Amino acid sequence: MTVRLRFPRFRRFSTQLLVLLTGLFAVVQISVYLLVSRANENNALDHIRQNLEVGAGIFRQNLSERIAFLAGSAKVLSSDYQIRKLIMQEPLDRPTLQSVLRSYADRVKLGAESLPPFITLFSTEGQILALSVENDELATENIGPFQYLIRRAAEAEMEQASDYSYLKGRLHVLVVVPLYAPYPNVAGWFGLAYPIDTTITQPIKKNTLLEFTFTSAPNQPDHRVLSSTLPDALAREVLEYNAAHSGNISGSRVMTLAGEPYVTRFESLDLLGEAPARIALQRSLTAELASARELARKALSISLAALVAAILMAFGLARGVSRPVQQLAQHTKLVASGDYSQRIDLGRKDELGQLATAFNQMTAGLAERDRVRNLLGMVVSPEIATQLLKSDLKLGGEEREVTILFCDLRDFTSLSEKMPPTEVLALLNRYLDRMSTIIEQHGGVIDKYIGDAIMALFGAPVAIPDAAARAITAARAMGDALEDLNRQLTAEGRPRLTFGIGINTARVVAGNMGSKTRLNYTVIGDGVNLASRLETQTKEPAHQTLIIVSEATAVAAGVAKSLRFLGSMQVKGKSDSIRTYAVDVLPRPWQERT
Amino acid sequence: MNTPPTLNAHLAGLLLAITLTVGLSGAEFSCTLASAPGAQPVNEAAVSLIPLDRPAPPVAAGAEVEIAQKDQEFSTFLTIIQSGTKVVLPNQDTVQHHVYSLSKPRRFELPLYNPGQSESVVFDLPGLVTIGCNIHDWMISHVVIVPTPWFAKTDAQGQVALSVPAGRYRVEVWHPRMGKTETREITLLESTPAHESFSVTLKPDRRIRRSLGGKAGDYR
Repeated sequence: MTVRLRFPRFRRFSTQLLVLLTGLFAVVQISVYLLVSRANENNALDHIRQNLEVGAGIFRQNLSERIAFLAGSAKVLSSDYQIRKLIMQEPLDRPTLQSVLRSYADRVKLGAESLPPFITLFSTEGQILALSVENDELATENIGPFQYLIRRAAEAEMEQASDYSYLKGRLHVLVVVPLYAPYPNVAGWFGLAYPIDTTITQPIKKNTLLEFTFTSAPNQPDHRVLSSTLPDALAREVLEYNAAHSGNISGSRVMTLAGEPYVTRFESLDLLGEAPARIALQRSLTAELASARELARKALSISLAALVAAILMAFGLARGVSRPVQQLAQHTKLVASGDYSQRIDLGRKDELGQLATAFNQMTAGLAERDRVRNLLGMVVSPEIATQLLKSDLKLGGEEREVTILFCDLRDFTSLSEKMPPTEVLALLNRYLDRMSTIIEQHGGVIDKYIGDAIMALFGAPVAIPDAAARAITAARAMGDALEDLNRQLTAEGRPRLTFGIGINTARVVAGNMGSKTRLNYTVIGDGVNLASRLETQTKEPAHQTLIIVSEATAVAAGVAKSLRFLGSMQVKGKSDSIRTYAVDVLPRPWQERT
Repeated sequence: MNTPPTLNAHLAGLLLAITLTVGLSGAEFSCTLASAPGAQPVNEAAVSLIPLDRPAPPVAAGAEVEIAQKDQEFSTFLTIIQSGTKVVLPNQDTVQHHVYSLSKPRRFELPLYNPGQSESVVFDLPGLVTIGCNIHDWMISHVVIVPTPWFAKTDAQGQVALSVPAGRYRVEVWHPRMGKTETREITLLESTPAHESFSVTLKPDRRIRRSLGGKAGDYR
């Protein structure tokens, strides 16, 4: 079974447009915001990692420079003539030597603020002769690393040897240089030590914004913080982290200190005869991202403002589209209800304006067509009009069986001479209207009026199954209607009217006839003429009927036996005699007349 | 005039040795020095023969050797003298010097003295003395004081030849780049030339270099 996502559907187009535009804009804004934030974060991480690398490099560089500085200082000190003389004196004047070393320590201080290095003078055998600090105990305690370095330097004939070690539990860089008296006679050794602590790392922190935390080897019992640029509480957290990650950790990682993420790089500092110390170089991601976050905040507010603006603009745009559409819809309803009088004006030149113009033209066109259709319906019968509108207007026709009814007023010409023309026309129209109504009621179609005569068709243009019967029924009804009309006319004091009807059923040609520019739908053929002749036959008093139908009609209507047979008559223009029947209508007008 | 005074001193020593050998029955001694890896001849090494079966003849009266300071260098890098010899240290330079020794056999100090001045020191005890200049660290000169008039410096082939009276001797060989003095006891017979070969290990040459700021020299 597939699950189909159902989006809320909005009925109003303007709402859809609004939602679409706003949604698109919001999606773009959110995507951009997320992308930028992500890029910022990655950028910050990269930047920190680079900085960490640089910081580590600077730190190492600084250490080697410090070593070089200490070694250089020691060389200058060892070249001092008086120390050479003092060290050769017997017995050795230790207090003087110690004071000299203290003076040396002050000479090689890095700056007024910084600590003096710790200087010791060793005999060629590695025994302490003097040291720059008072505490003998401290010195003897820490003699090991120096002695090791002295051995190393002496064996390798080195000008100096250096390494890192703990002195009194604190991390130091150690340098030993020989005291020549003169070269190559080594009279003793200078041992210099400088603490590796925040005095080295603070200046680096100032430049790189990195935090340095030195801790002793995490897997050793005396795991502790050696020094740190971080506050004590945070440094302890680094220590705990180290304890939890005592294995070899390399690369940079994100560590959380006091809830804040710190990008951290671990460096290890190899020590003389001890497990290596660990240096954590760190930079707070939050601090690094501060400016980016500020930017992001600004970008977010700009985005929100832009979103609001976009909503307003989309709303305006949606209304700008939906209102004219609504107007058009309103207008369409009017047109649908047949009101072609209204014109729409949207007051715009865009596509909607063009649509309105087209709509107006269409309305005008519709109005024109409707007018034509009405007129057509009046001029020709509605069925013919419909047929005409339906089919292509073209000349030519088709052969089909049609029942033709001819109805002609008797003696109307003489009647009209006694009456004013307008009255004649009024009377004629009154008569024609009644007759036409009846014909149409019976499914007949008025083909044309020929003066006071009516030519009507049954079965054309629309074929009907009982055309002949309908025609006969219609003729009877017409007779009744005429009687009714005559009663009215008599009451009005007007002369009575009488007519004759001839009906014939025959295959004739039906279709549009005329010129290319003017067409008439009609039927032609002998059958039509016969109908007309039959009508003329009603004038024969011997027939005693107003309605004469041909045998074809009578047979088609299935009423031949019930009709009065008039006999075969020779009709004008016809070689064969036609059998005719009379349709009687009561009361018989000819009886009254006679 | 053209002959350096040091050479004069050597010549004097040699003449003395020759007169002594002439007086006694002579023996020919030669020796070759080569450094251990590659057997490279060791030039400028001190070789001395110290008689073991009789006391060595005393140093000639007024024996004198000169180690001058010139162009901020000592005129000789290695000087061999018999104990009791006087070493003259004239300053033939344009700058002052502060020549000193902190070596056990003879400690002395000639505090800053001017060009043209000359000081002298008598070396009575045998041993090795390194003479330096307190104000020019690169100025180093080695003096080998031996209790015998029979000594010589190896040539470019690392060879040395001496004519001494027959007898038992201790051969002492030393070079500034050797840690300790090499010794060997030999007996020299009359009219039987003796040859000794020494293979020594030299430490890397780490002589203090004259800094760039110094007066023009061979140092680049």
